[in-house]
Amino acid sequence: MADIYTMGIDIGSSASKCLILKNGTEIAGSAVIAAGTGTSGPRRAQEEALAAAGISMKDIRRSTATGYGRNTVEGVDAVVSELSCHAIGIHAVFPDVRTLIDIGGQDAKVIRVSENGRLDSFVMNDKCAAGTGRFLDVMARVLELDVSELEEKSAKAKNVVNISSTCTVFAESEVISQLSNNVDICDLVAGIHRSVAVRTAGLVRRLGVVEPVAMSGGVALNGGVVSALEEELGLTIKVSPLAQLNGAYGAAVHAWGQLEKETL
Amino acid sequence: MSEATEKKPAKVVLKELQDKIADDAWEAKKRGEKVGWCASNFPQEITTAMGIPVVYPENMGAAVGAKGGGQRMCEYAEGMGYSGDLCSYSRINFAYADLKKCEELEIPFPDFLLCCNNICNCMIKWYENLALELDIPLILIDIPHLDQYECDEDRIKYIRAQFDDAIRQLEEITGKKMDYDKLKSVMEVSQRSSQAWLRAVGYMSAKPSPFSGFDIFNNMAVACVGRGTVEAAEAFEQLADEYEALVAEGKSTFKGDENYRILFEGIACWANLRFTYKTLQSRGINLTASVYGPAFSFLYSNLDELMAAYSYVPNSNCFERELELRVVDAKKNKVDGAIFHMNRSCKHWSGNLYEMERQFREQTGVPTIVFDGDQSDPRAFSEAQYETRVEALVEIMEENKRKEAQA
Amino acid sequence: MKYIDELKNISENPRAAFEGAIASGKKVVGVMPYFCPEELVYAAGMLPFGLWGAAIQANDSKRYFPAFICSILHTTLEMGIKGQLDDLSAIMIPICCDSLKGMGANWEYGVGNKVPVINVAYAQNRKIEAGVGFTASQFRKIRKQLEEIAGNEITDDALAKAVTVYNENRDAILCFSKAAATHPKEISAQTRSAVLKAGYFMDRAKHTEMLREITEELSALPASDEGYLKIVTTGILADMLGFLELIDKNNMVIADDQIAQESVGARTQTPVTEDPILGMAQRLSDIEGCSVLYDLGKFRGKQLVSLAQEAGAAGILFVLTKFCDPEEYDYVPVKRMTDAAGIPMLQVEIDQQMKNFAQAESALQAFAEMLRER
Repeated sequence: MADIYTMGIDIGSSASKCLILKNGTEIAGSAVIAAGTGTSGPRRAQEEALAAAGISMKDIRRSTATGYGRNTVEGVDAVVSELSCHAIGIHAVFPDVRTLIDIGGQDAKVIRVSENGRLDSFVMNDKCAAGTGRFLDVMARVLELDVSELEEKSAKAKNVVNISSTCTVFAESEVISQLSNNVDICDLVAGIHRSVAVRTAGLVRRLGVVEPVAMSGGVALNGGVVSALEEELGLTIKVSPLAQLNGAYGAAVHAWGQLEKETL
Repeated sequence: MSEATEKKPAKVVLKELQDKIADDAWEAKKRGEKVGWCASNFPQEITTAMGIPVVYPENMGAAVGAKGGGQRMCEYAEGMGYSGDLCSYSRINFAYADLKKCEELEIPFPDFLLCCNNICNCMIKWYENLALELDIPLILIDIPHLDQYECDEDRIKYIRAQFDDAIRQLEEITGKKMDYDKLKSVMEVSQRSSQAWLRAVGYMSAKPSPFSGFDIFNNMAVACVGRGTVEAAEAFEQLADEYEALVAEGKSTFKGDENYRILFEGIACWANLRFTYKTLQSRGINLTASVYGPAFSFLYSNLDELMAAYSYVPNSNCFERELELRVVDAKKNKVDGAIFHMNRSCKHWSGNLYEMERQFREQTGVPTIVFDGDQSDPRAFSEAQYETRVEALVEIMEENKRKEAQA
Repeated sequence: MKYIDELKNISENPRAAFEGAIASGKKVVGVMPYFCPEELVYAAGMLPFGLWGAAIQANDSKRYFPAFICSILHTTLEMGIKGQLDDLSAIMIPICCDSLKGMGANWEYGVGNKVPVINVAYAQNRKIEAGVGFTASQFRKIRKQLEEIAGNEITDDALAKAVTVYNENRDAILCFSKAAATHPKEISAQTRSAVLKAGYFMDRAKHTEMLREITEELSALPASDEGYLKIVTTGILADMLGFLELIDKNNMVIADDQIAQESVGARTQTPVTEDPILGMAQRLSDIEGCSVLYDLGKFRGKQLVSLAQEAGAAGILFVLTKFCDPEEYDYVPVKRMTDAAGIPMLQVEIDQQMKNFAQAESALQAFAEMLRER
């Protein structure tokens, strides 16, 4: 029997992700492009994922789009919210996980996953950017670091600096004044991570902590934030190996599910 | 004067008095008496006269903020679902009500709640939630915001009815009876305290002012909640005497030279108290005017006037009366500038602050600045912003002094 | 459907209604939320005109209000400062929340005395006799102020008539809302909102007539709610088009509401009393389900649960007006009550100046997906 491919496309504010699933279980190809909705990112992500899988668009039997830019993707079979896709995605990776924390560029969300892998309830960050990937981007820029360097720096921290401001503008001036006081940059980075962790922990508590807890999204790649969050919540967090691709994975699984429903 | 020199300083006596209010409440709780949580501007005459122990969540919010627990407690409340936009005193209190512990300061848990919204309507929402969460009775005295200069008969009648109703409900809850002779004497003692408080803060008009103006933030707590006792009246009289003696000697408890005198508008940033104070003190800036001075006097000579007095607390007045309180105080106390605290926690105090600042500047002719902060949540305060603005204020005040000297 | 387009026009372009009234020689009095004694304005022969903010950018208002005050006040003040409300004969401003307490002075200094302020104080301790008495005393004061502005007396007869007009309108609102709940194909969330909102900009008697007609037409039609997800909304206002679009797009139907701008006031009639003022004051004591009115025991939450249960709603939307502190306080206990009743509730934070509804869109779609899975 020929292989069946489904595609999940997750178009975020700052990145486009695409994942192709073979026969509902095997990841045939994926791509993450650092350009979000309204750019060439969505198209490029699809092309790259298809190339990685060694197939072409006509081989895709079903596709599901998700993410902020989900309504702008042409030619997809279904459009599903990223919250549902994240729940489906994490359930496929870690079936026992009940709480998923996903921090992306623009927003942070905490999702309760039911035992059968469905979206049970959720909360999202409020109007301010504190506690999102954007906050980390701004802070990294102030410190003249690349976001990818943050984890390594914070691992070397000795005395974590307290960053109290939640307002991004205020936090920026707070970090600058600490820098001019010659505070160790590693201590500062750890402080920034803790600030994000505290903010996120508040969201988690708002929903109620049900273990096991997992994390996905671009910020999950930063182990500094993950361990700060573990400390803040006093529990262990499973990090999805798919990180940013969790939503796209969930979308591809969703597309597979649609196909199965149809053929039943 | 040997007797006076042996006495503890009034500042210490007042602090002890404040602690005693809390200790008494703990003791009463242990004895099995009913204890209340009380809004800071609820008529204290009722509880003092009836001998009902109460504690003040707002004071706890300030103290927890000052001791560095504000951020932690606020974040906890946000985890409960409360928005970070809400009053930080209330967030700290919700966290405490839920956690039932707080390492910085604890107050005994209440058997009833006494709410009064003369300072703000958020008190009502706050206490509504407490009443539900703790499942205890709530007594509200609603003092409608003044939309005119004077408190009128309709308001007095309404407040009076609630005053009487509150007494009746408290009698039921606590089993204690109101002794109206005692009420009369509490009212008299309160007047004695108020007069002494006014005399004490009145010395801020001296040059130099006999004390560091930030002390007002500490002393007003007792002026507000404990003034119905003879001990408080005596302590305030002592405080006034001490200031009088300092003025006579030309001395001050303010550290350093008093180069500039300012009005500080708003609640202190408790979580950043040291920084906000040091930034001023190191530049020789003393606080010599604050609405807490004249406005926490509660002058009256009978029950009806008492009702009216409670609608003249800061923020309960119409804009014109609020402005006048500040302008008169600033002129009398010869300020060189003013600092306005845009308090993220307090929508009521912040809603007219820009206009207040403009009209204050026009009427007094002194330079002003506004800074962003919060009464107990350090996350809404920026040291850099505060310092930069204070420096700008100093530059203008300096220039004004130079011009004055030339003329 | 008859009248729908007309009401939509009025609601989308209140300015035309405003200018039309002025052109016809009618005096217009601005009425801010919440629960002002509008009947007095009506009885004086003037047009009460609702001021619930607008979907405009607030710029000049920021000279007066800090950024963390709700957009209802910001944008209303903005219109005032820009001179767009100069033809008002007065503006009624209640003082039932802390932000509103600052509105009077900001209006006075930002707009000037060309549009005088009528402060509306009413009792928060509203269940006791003295509270009703105080509210009545304030309404009497306002009556005199309005008589002066109108240039004529407000007779008890005229007031009694106004009370009847308003009571009938309240009933018509509830009947329409009920009919709309089963006819989402004919009455989308956007249309429902427009039909209700238009009442703030027109003669209430005329509004009633139109509502009755629409309701009658709807009742003659078979229900069209199959496949729709029933929800109940709660909050201050929910009239932002971007938000309403999301409800429609997700095939949701508003089965009932606890929105201050919509049904909250309509649920409570003014009792007919010999002195109409007393009845009006009594109504303030009777209204339930709004965060700006003292609510010992949070009856709001209980009411919300029973509204949702009676409507057979799958979920509740807590439409949080950004920076509204009474709502932010209520949210926590209300959520606890709806959770206890097993009814899912989603908080969506929105305001009138919002251009980007992306987060709300994700949240609403996810909520719909979640409810449909249940």
